[in-house]
Amino acid sequence: MKERLAVESRAGSHVVRSGTNRRSAWRRMVQDKHLYLMLLPVIGFYFLFKYIPVVGEIIAFKDYRFVDGIFGSPWVGFKHFQMIFQSADFWRILRNTLVLNLYSLVFGFPVPIILALLLNEVRKNWYKRIVQNMLYIPHFMSWAVLGSIVVAALSPSTGIVNLVMKKITGGETIYFMADSFWWPIAYTISGIWREAGWGTILYLAAMASIDPQLYEAAKIDGAAKLRQIWHITLPGIRGTIAILLILRMGQMMDVGLEQTLVLQNNSVLGVADVISTYVYRVGLQNMNYSYTTAIGLFQSVIGVILVLGVNRLIRLSGERGLW
Amino acid sequence: MKKMNTGISNRIVLVSAYVFLGGISLLTLFPFWYEIVASFSSSRAITSGEVFLWPVEFNTVAYQRLFDDGQLIMAMGNTIVVTIVGTVLNVIMTIMAAYPLSRKRLVGRNGLLVFITISMLFVAGLIPNFILIKSLGLMNSYWSLWLLGLISTYNMLVMKTFMEGLPEEIEESASIDGAGDWRILLQIYIPLCKPILAALSLFYAVGWWNSYFNVLLYITESTKLTVMVKLYQMVSRVDDNLLNNAGGNDAMEQILLTPEALKAAAVVIVVTPILCVYPFLQKHFVKGVLIGSVKG
Repeated sequence: MKERLAVESRAGSHVVRSGTNRRSAWRRMVQDKHLYLMLLPVIGFYFLFKYIPVVGEIIAFKDYRFVDGIFGSPWVGFKHFQMIFQSADFWRILRNTLVLNLYSLVFGFPVPIILALLLNEVRKNWYKRIVQNMLYIPHFMSWAVLGSIVVAALSPSTGIVNLVMKKITGGETIYFMADSFWWPIAYTISGIWREAGWGTILYLAAMASIDPQLYEAAKIDGAAKLRQIWHITLPGIRGTIAILLILRMGQMMDVGLEQTLVLQNNSVLGVADVISTYVYRVGLQNMNYSYTTAIGLFQSVIGVILVLGVNRLIRLSGERGLW
Repeated sequence: MKKMNTGISNRIVLVSAYVFLGGISLLTLFPFWYEIVASFSSSRAITSGEVFLWPVEFNTVAYQRLFDDGQLIMAMGNTIVVTIVGTVLNVIMTIMAAYPLSRKRLVGRNGLLVFITISMLFVAGLIPNFILIKSLGLMNSYWSLWLLGLISTYNMLVMKTFMEGLPEEIEESASIDGAGDWRILLQIYIPLCKPILAALSLFYAVGWWNSYFNVLLYITESTKLTVMVKLYQMVSRVDDNLLNNAGGNDAMEQILLTPEALKAAAVVIVVTPILCVYPFLQKHFVKGVLIGSVKG
């Protein structure tokens, strides 16, 4: 009985406290009215330009016509989705999206790690700084710039690559950007060119936090540089590598739209057409709004599933998740 | 004996690291250098493959033609307008979002944060955004660009984290002195946030300067196009010509309509402003990346 009373009184006091909380919450809101005023345009922005377009995705289930508006257009259920899965186009762009991502992952992911390992060995700080500054530059360039450099350099008639190759080997002219074998290679390398240097930052930060005593001990044991890298540096950045790798997996459905668009041309669409460029070309330029919205919706649903899965993976590995 | 071996192998590793890194950085930069060199060379010298490290038949015709033509310069002016107004709007809105959300006492703070972060997860596609902008009558207006890119949620969260890291006593003592929220923000917090504000402004400005896809979508009047879209059109036009007549002599002729030197000069003009602010950029950007990653 006593116990129960105690519980009740505790519960009672809790109710009282939450009551004053509510009242003081209101008072606090009034006190903070200027803060809410600041947030008003912010909330408006997120509502109008982030949430409304998501609602607009319902045209994937309608036959959208601009004159009828989003809500006036007739519902058609899963018609567009059925069309998607029956169309050869869709499987082509899905395959291209995944394949280009896979290339970037397999060939692009290790490069910053290798660069960071090398940079970490450089003891002359001025040299390290110069190299870093040079490697970061492409990251700050628009794909319009990088793309035009790549296309110009690989041009069959005037590109420096072909001209140099012809001088050295005297071989055939290669139509790099119009060849479905060479295009993905040019795509992957240009991606590495832009991002590899920049990608070293997080690895270098992780390496900087490795305990220097480990290296001292290794040196006393007579371990050579390569052994130190293998047994101390690499294990030291294992966590960073894992997280970045998993995060990268979460983006397997996205291909850099700006990069692909600027490098792409009609003769390589078989390998270069990805979901986002297809939506742009067929959806906007040919005004197939509903059909391509359905494709986009499919892409983002898979994307969200991937991100959620990735977050679960990170948590399982014992690290702090993304949220 | 063993010690000497490791000494030698260490030296080899070290030397090859230095050499390799130097080579890679030169390789990274060479395409930019080549553009500069090509822009000062004659188109004839470029197409015959004589140009490599230094300009051949040095001239500034390409630049003169671009300046006489005026289109690229006009587009440059447009880009400057888009960049400056866009960045100012970004910074104001980012502060107005980050400051209230960094006040832990704010009622409904968690709900608002969820509301905002969910929008990072569910991103609407191209078409719904396009329809929205069209319905709002914003086609061909820079407001379409500015409004769609008003706040980068990621940048905003970085800013919020930074503000949370400032000691709360500052605000308390100011409010005891009778300063209102706006004054506390303007006179105390913004000066304290200067380093992160510099970084974020640069983030935003570079983004505006470099973006071309949104302009391609929402701006169709050729007098309003930005410099990146002009550049993109130069590339893609040549490309299409190359395809339509793949391999033939016609293709060759049409490519010469946009001489390589002209394109190179356009690239150099567009890139120069970025290179001018580059020293600040890379310093602040690296900091920004690290702050962002700590936040997770």
